[in-house]
Amino acid sequence: MSEPININTMRRKVESINALPTVPSTLKHISSMLENPQLSIEELGRFISNDPALTSKILKMVNSAAYGFPNRISSISHAIMLLGLNVVRGLLLGVSVFELMQKNIAGLWEHSMGCAVVSRWIAQKHEFKEPEEVSICGLLHDIGKVILILHFPAEYEQAQEKARSEGIALHEAEKVFFDATHADVGSWLAQKWRFPINLVEALEYHHRPQLSQQATLETAIVHVSDVLVRARGIGIDCEARVPDADPDAWKLLRLSDDDVKDILAELEETAFLETEID
Amino acid sequence: MRPGAPQRIGCKVMRKLTPDKLEAGMVLAKPILRGSAVFLGEGSVLSEGVISRLQSMEINYVYVEGLAEQPIPLDEALASLDARFGNSGDSEPMARIKRIVHEYIVDLYE
Repeated sequence: MSEPININTMRRKVESINALPTVPSTLKHISSMLENPQLSIEELGRFISNDPALTSKILKMVNSAAYGFPNRISSISHAIMLLGLNVVRGLLLGVSVFELMQKNIAGLWEHSMGCAVVSRWIAQKHEFKEPEEVSICGLLHDIGKVILILHFPAEYEQAQEKARSEGIALHEAEKVFFDATHADVGSWLAQKWRFPINLVEALEYHHRPQLSQQATLETAIVHVSDVLVRARGIGIDCEARVPDADPDAWKLLRLSDDDVKDILAELEETAFLETEID
Repeated sequence: MRPGAPQRIGCKVMRKLTPDKLEAGMVLAKPILRGSAVFLGEGSVLSEGVISRLQSMEINYVYVEGLAEQPIPLDEALASLDARFGNSGDSEPMARIKRIVHEYIVDLYE
């Protein structure tokens, strides 16, 4: 068997996403826009509003149960005002990246939406001022999987097959073929796209929440959300088993039995989202 | 209560539905408000006419009483829960998570 793909090669390739022929032009556009440190609210609003398909997908998301606003948000500028620039940047990535994924990694979109819902719920319980930002961490936590499959389709296919046949976690199977996992890839991109440190860490450490330094709570939330969503059976097809929850992260969140049942009830809603997004 | 906060009050079982999923005969589990006025009270039975009015209003979702119909039988749902957890259901906190999900699933079928 050949050597795993070197981490520097991976990072270089992943960061040159704009040059990859298999990446749709809209996503390349979005990627270079997000790299711009001077991106203004007006510019982002104009970009989305000029694309009717993107506009309608984002409005469907913000009006879905995952974001839970009781009254309809009818324009992108209204959404940015309510949710803030970073949340809308995250949503924009979420809808444009995961659309690519419906075909390649079965179940990933539903799983990501489920994590967005659960992360938001727990963030509300912990009285985050902006629970939607934590929701974006949940939504994007597996974005590295999408990028890996775009850049290294053959190797990623093998990793998925290994996870499926051996009943191991996908990030464990990834290590056989790559020197880094989808969690690393997600955090490289989050940095490239100038997301805040809490998102970078939540993506990087969602399997190992104990390593997070600057976003302990957000990372624990995303980690536990991942476990709960899979415990309910909303996972990706090649990973049958629920990953173990880190005992410290679990304790930190102080979820009661009733809290968990409320979360599961909230999750029933995501079943509707599969049909709503496309 | 903040918008979108979890809504499982006491042991009342309710579902949150988008207006297009409503069916005649469903019972409202929470009132529908327009501004600060009650448009339809808790316990109202929805008719076709009311549903089409709700669908034309700017409402994201409403709460109705009762549980959704389950796609698979209970024993199948519990067997797949066991399979998902494998041996990891033996240690804390996984044992607790598994027990709660188990109870939750059983409740869905009552």
